[in-house]
Amino acid sequence: MTRRVVVTGLGLITPLGNDVTSNWEALVAGRSGIGTITLFDTSAYEFPIAGEVRDFDPAEHVDAKILRRLDRSTVFAIAAAQRALADAGIDMAKEDARRVGVVIGTGIGSAQLIVEQAAVLAEKGPRRVSPFLISHMLPDTATGLIAIQTGARGPNFAVTAACATGGATTGEAAEIIARGDCEVIIAGGYEAPLTPVYYAGFNAMKALATAEDPTKAVRPFDATRNGFILGEGAGVLILEELEHARARGAHIYAEFVGAGTSNDAYDMVAAAEDGHGIAQAMRDALTRAAVGVEVIDYINAHGTGTPLNDRVETKAIRDVFAEHADSLMVSSTKSMHGHMMGAAGAVEAAITVLVCERGIVPPTINYASPDPACDLDYVPNEARRSAVRYGMSTSVGLGGHNSALIVKRWEGD
Amino acid sequence: MDRRVVVTGAGMFSALGAGREATWQALLAGTNGIRPITRVETEDLPTRVAGEVPEFDLSTYLDRKEAKRMDRFTHLAVMAAGEALEHSGLDVAADADEIGCMIGSGIGGMETLEQEFKVFFEKPTRVSPFLVPMFIPDMAAGQTSIRFGLRGPNFNTVSACASGADAIGTALETIRRGDAVAMVAGGAEASVTRMTIAAFAASRALSRNNDPETASRPFDLNRDGFVLGEGAGILVLEERGHAEARGATILAELTAYGQSADAFHVTQPSENGEGAARAMRIALKKAGIDAAEIDYVNAHGTSTPLNDKFETLSLKAVFGESMPGIPVSSSKSMFGHTLGAAGGLEAAVTVLSIRDQRIHQTLHLLTPDPDCDLDYVAGGPRDVSLKHAMSNSLGFGGHNSSLIFSRYEG
Repeated sequence: MTRRVVVTGLGLITPLGNDVTSNWEALVAGRSGIGTITLFDTSAYEFPIAGEVRDFDPAEHVDAKILRRLDRSTVFAIAAAQRALADAGIDMAKEDARRVGVVIGTGIGSAQLIVEQAAVLAEKGPRRVSPFLISHMLPDTATGLIAIQTGARGPNFAVTAACATGGATTGEAAEIIARGDCEVIIAGGYEAPLTPVYYAGFNAMKALATAEDPTKAVRPFDATRNGFILGEGAGVLILEELEHARARGAHIYAEFVGAGTSNDAYDMVAAAEDGHGIAQAMRDALTRAAVGVEVIDYINAHGTGTPLNDRVETKAIRDVFAEHADSLMVSSTKSMHGHMMGAAGAVEAAITVLVCERGIVPPTINYASPDPACDLDYVPNEARRSAVRYGMSTSVGLGGHNSALIVKRWEGD
Repeated sequence: MDRRVVVTGAGMFSALGAGREATWQALLAGTNGIRPITRVETEDLPTRVAGEVPEFDLSTYLDRKEAKRMDRFTHLAVMAAGEALEHSGLDVAADADEIGCMIGSGIGGMETLEQEFKVFFEKPTRVSPFLVPMFIPDMAAGQTSIRFGLRGPNFNTVSACASGADAIGTALETIRRGDAVAMVAGGAEASVTRMTIAAFAASRALSRNNDPETASRPFDLNRDGFVLGEGAGILVLEERGHAEARGATILAELTAYGQSADAFHVTQPSENGEGAARAMRIALKKAGIDAAEIDYVNAHGTSTPLNDKFETLSLKAVFGESMPGIPVSSSKSMFGHTLGAAGGLEAAVTVLSIRDQRIHQTLHLLTPDPDCDLDYVAGGPRDVSLKHAMSNSLGFGGHNSSLIFSRYEG
């Protein structure tokens, strides 16, 4: 007895904009949100490039007293959740609060908050560490605070799976509704990795892209690609049981039909070269959705822009989709918003929902030189008007985590 | 119909022992695992006692190079997962794609972060490329999968001190809906770091009592906070038919999982423990049993003034007239509060209680508190007839989780 789950609200805070409209306009225009880092001193680095959230006012979303205790990442999550709830038109006063849950993940969590307090510990001693640190630094701080703000008293936790977090979280949230444990879940992912210490760590991994022009730095599937670019922000989806959404006359963006997660069980950093892990997640999502590969029209790929990822992901898509792979549109919107780590899967799930609803596929920008190892239709450089009935979004994370999810255009049935 | 899920293996690393049976026997014997801290310099810290895991041999499961690229919480997870898998006798290679891993951790690799923070101060470009992959809390699940070849559903759940319980509950549902035949699930935390101690002490959640013999005393009138413990508790959960077909020893059945949010306050329990009570009621409803059928509760029982009082209220609200007949004990009285690992370790304790039909005491309960008036199994372990037992976990942020385990009867 599985119940159907639909998407009735979206909230996006990304380097492309702080609402759905501005994100969609940038995606369709193929506009990059990547620039030179302004959030901290980057003089130690030759190519300090990232996707920063701009013109964001935290005070719009959180009381000043609480705000002082929070990491930037947590505020992104709260803001995106508020926007998504408003978009869905959910009035909590009319809901059974026990049947509304919050399941939102992050890859790293309150990076800067912890580091700032580590400095206090080192310089001023343990007795000066903030009494609010522990209760406000955990990856589940955001879900707890969103519950307090909204009154949502249903299932509540964070999921972490490195860069596959957003996908894994959204998929798990849909399962909670499907099995009958609640009617609505505020689901998604958030991240603010642009902090001095974490940036130093990512830089040391030698996986970040370099380029003279920041907007051209991330080049997924292109032969000259040389790494990923960090992005920050949050993506939140309101997932809702179909009959519940119908009963309140909600706008239905799309149906959430299946998800899968897996682990490569291979290496903590590198993806397995044969792509078995991400292929397995895609197959599991197809099984859960009870559809064949031939129905999928579009894949919002993980497509980070690293030489290894894009090659492995292409191979996995070919393995799973066989000859249908040549009919697929595959694009990496990270070419525009960067790699938003724990937020990526949720932001890209939201984009996939919009693609199904609107019949326009955003491009992979900065695509110029074909790579023989990456030979799919990546929707290069320009958005394409094309009906998409089923869209898939894939995510791959450090630690070997993979997730895939499938959404279906809402056709009123 | 829903598939049934059983427990076929358990691994436990705690202050009471670097292994399952060592920990369990110490609990039954009423051993105190709290001692002066040795892992970090404590001279300037307000708290100087904790539950540290005794020395263990990492080379059982990890070579030196691999081990160096993991934080201690991941070491603990891999060790406990290895013990649980051996206990279960599960042939992972036979079903690798359908065996997943969910290990909760509240904090992640704080020790690594503290070390790399010092490096960063001296020279940012010298920060380890492994900082991020060692710190992020999903690495316990990630590395455990890599080490043991678990290729199925995989992630970490975080709900503060309920993390381990939510990992087990989510793994249960994953098997139930047919996405896996077995799951390695539980919690891991390496909480004895200067930053963690300083931050918990600042929040006034820790006991200010530095006498290891009395610091952790859940439900006692003079309790004044919890004592940090580190460890990992991991179960092998398996679809019943799969376990039976291979002739596995079934330790218990995992019958139900209930979860709720207080939506009330970041650190304080909701009024009358309403949120915790709701999680227990959801679990009972999903198990299809009456409250009166529960024979034992392994409580969250942290030893903070608020938790123990409100947890007692919530238990009374749920169990009503049957409450006086239900023994309740806190494992934290002996191995401390292991945060994200607590739900995993205490689930394992509950499973072993069912296996052996014995329950452990709440240690250090000397002075009764009028607000805490249940049967906390003071004085010594007890032989009991256990059919259904409940393990509760409550976390900062208002997370409540309740697991019900049952004697397996085919």
